[in-house]
Amino acid sequence: MSYGEIIENSAQRLQDLTRKGSMVVGYLYPHTPIELLMAHGLTPSLIRVNPSVVAGFEDSLQTFSCAFTRNIFSQRANGNLLSLSGVLFPGNTCDALQNVADVWRFRFPGDKILRVTYPATALTEHAVDFLANEFRFLSDNIAKMFDRQISATELADAASIVNDFREAMQFLYAARVYDSNAITYSELVSLLRKFLTAPDRSVVDEIAERFREIRQVLEKNGHLNSADILKDGLLIGNLEKVVTPPSNEFPRIVVVGGMVEPQAIASIVNNLDGVSDNIIALDLLSFGFKTVFTPKTLIPPANKGTKPIGAAPEPSYEGPFKAMARAVLQAPLEPTQEGLTTRTEFLKQLLTKIGVQGLVVCEQSFCDPDEFEAPSLEKAAEKAGIPSLRFPIDPELSDRGRLEGRLQTFLETIGEV
Amino acid sequence: MTEEKAYRRLESSKELQQISFQHMLEGHHASEEGRLAWVTSGFPVEIPVAMDVGVVYPEQYGAVVGANKVGPMVCGFAEDIGYSSELCSYARASIGSILKPSESPLEGLPKPQALLACNNICGSVLKWYDAVSELTEAPVFLLDTPALDVEQQPHHIEYVRHGIDNLIEFLSTTLGSTLTDERLIETAKLSSEAITLWQKSLKACKAKPTPLNCADRFLTMAPVVSSRGKQYCVDFYKTLYEEVESRVKEGIGAIRDEKVRLLWDNIPPWFQIFRFFNGMAQRGVAFPADTYTHAWSGAVEADDPYTSVATVYSNSYLNKGLEAKADKMEHLIKDYDLDGFIMFSVRSCKRYSLGQMVTREIVTERTGVPGTIIEGDMVDSRLFNEAQIGTRVDALLEMFV
Ligand code: SF4
Ligand code: SF4
Repeated sequence: MSYGEIIENSAQRLQDLTRKGSMVVGYLYPHTPIELLMAHGLTPSLIRVNPSVVAGFEDSLQTFSCAFTRNIFSQRANGNLLSLSGVLFPGNTCDALQNVADVWRFRFPGDKILRVTYPATALTEHAVDFLANEFRFLSDNIAKMFDRQISATELADAASIVNDFREAMQFLYAARVYDSNAITYSELVSLLRKFLTAPDRSVVDEIAERFREIRQVLEKNGHLNSADILKDGLLIGNLEKVVTPPSNEFPRIVVVGGMVEPQAIASIVNNLDGVSDNIIALDLLSFGFKTVFTPKTLIPPANKGTKPIGAAPEPSYEGPFKAMARAVLQAPLEPTQEGLTTRTEFLKQLLTKIGVQGLVVCEQSFCDPDEFEAPSLEKAAEKAGIPSLRFPIDPELSDRGRLEGRLQTFLETIGEV
Repeated sequence: MTEEKAYRRLESSKELQQISFQHMLEGHHASEEGRLAWVTSGFPVEIPVAMDVGVVYPEQYGAVVGANKVGPMVCGFAEDIGYSSELCSYARASIGSILKPSESPLEGLPKPQALLACNNICGSVLKWYDAVSELTEAPVFLLDTPALDVEQQPHHIEYVRHGIDNLIEFLSTTLGSTLTDERLIETAKLSSEAITLWQKSLKACKAKPTPLNCADRFLTMAPVVSSRGKQYCVDFYKTLYEEVESRVKEGIGAIRDEKVRLLWDNIPPWFQIFRFFNGMAQRGVAFPADTYTHAWSGAVEADDPYTSVATVYSNSYLNKGLEAKADKMEHLIKDYDLDGFIMFSVRSCKRYSLGQMVTREIVTERTGVPGTIIEGDMVDSRLFNEAQIGTRVDALLEMFV
């Protein structure tokens, strides 16, 4: 399926859901507590950029609003987001989104707007408490705005769906590092998109099916154990025990950046001469790796039943809002948060451990977090002895020919090393 | 009419040079003693000052780079190592000056031992200070004051309050400084005194003609940003207020022939500060109020300084939404009896500038006065299209004849 078809497909799924009476709430930040929205009987849907959108932001935003927000705003102005019953914005992540949410409220006064404000600090107990309170407010606001109360059973079910999704996807991500033929990057990110467009058990079942198949493949080729170790290492940000994969594909790259669409990257790579997306060992993008490698939300099952004698002790549970907040704050740090050193150290370790030959650093125009971080990421790669390429990529892929040319040249250069 | 005739120079502004010299000297001294912090403009500076930590302000340094008209060159040094020209030009200027101090004004800021960022002005400061930390090896402390969507909630105050505890701990472990309640209260009092005097000077601009114009305020606000909590800062604002009061009493305006009164929104183009505002003065246009210098308005209460710091610094102008900005502009226009407004859309400052297009509509609808948006930058003169700005301003001024 082409990039365009995938987008079309997602839009179609949302329209079908709306037609069937689902209330869909769009969100823009990867670390949204989607299980909370689901527990209120809503369908959370990640709003994605649309490369074919016609500009519609000019009356409301200056041209120096980031490329991502311009694209999303234009979609709304052009009437492309009509299947949404509301939009959830993050607060305190970046200056563009902070202001665009306010502009949106003014321009589209009929839209139901929700907001969750995130701490910018790395994980601390105070940050968890703060975010838990924000989630509680969100829950109250959803109840008021949509007249949908939260249900404990629904929350437990939703958390289990989201946890199962994350666990399976984490393995698939790790598996590709050892055997990129087992599942293409395009398939990986299209499964991701499918779930994030409209998360439900049926998509998780589909992902779980692939999970089982690929585990078998890796078992046969002897990489299963390594992939499991990598998955665990990626989850805790420590790759000490990771086994470097054999260099079966050459050259291989890591793609890093913020709110860049993984599918756009896959589409660009697959369009290059003699290259497939097998060259992408891993992405560290917000809507890819960083969404997937969020740890489990530890919410007690609604119907626990009787604990069998001798069963493993239960994890210690805290309140659901705190549990969701903790999971979110344990996700890999975004460039909108503090922790640059943690990120660059992790990147250095990763580049060395998973044996890649190049790093592609994506940035969208006027994205302060991306543009501020890019030089440090380049420096980290240099310290790890890995060449890097700065890759300015906008949602509209406006300069696609030139981008493809630059990437092709980069791959040829690192392929010769 | 010459520029001099159109515009009256403030006597008290002569003291500014002395204050800025003293401030710089204190900064160098603190740096040599290993207790200098670079701080963001909205940082609760009362705490480091009470802990005897020296403070200097990279944003102010950015203004100096701009005013010296070397913005493109100094920002260019940062761009040469990969920092995009789309990023905050204060940030680029400071990074550039770290890279090439000998080619930068004042040879850059003295070397920091700590970097204190508070994101109550924008999210960029965090990224910027991280970049500075990589270059200077000074550790960063982030005081996170999440932007306010509505009224500040108790959990928000509590979170920021914990951040302040962490700040104190950070300063004591990093710089070996200690804090006593007495010192904090004393510093908070001096800081509040300066802010109160500053606010009185701002309010005096309701008079017609206004005793202070935009450039006056932009320049005289420097001590309230950089030297809050110091006695000499209070002394300066006493002198300033006396001069302002006497101008009001005698009916002396900041410009000689005030015909039109406008509001200025956003940071000024430092490289054009006299040229632009004096040029407007020649046309009889005064700026009795602006949103930028009114941002330093919250005084820390001495009886519970910790909680007060948590509330005052979270409620800063830029930490609130567009509604609050529109309210502020509406009130300034009404209270200062202004005829219109100019919004400077600063390309490299998204937090202040994005949203101006709708704010302009809201403010005009509420006040009935016209406004225009001109685009440029505060430091990077490459982004300032004088001809285009001239056309926009002319079109606005035509509405008042
Ligand atoms: S993080 Fe970057 S791309 Fe995302 S909304 Fe903010 S500025 Fe735009
Ligand atoms: S982005 Fe704007 S608010 Fe932030 S430091 Fe730069 S000029 Fe100041």
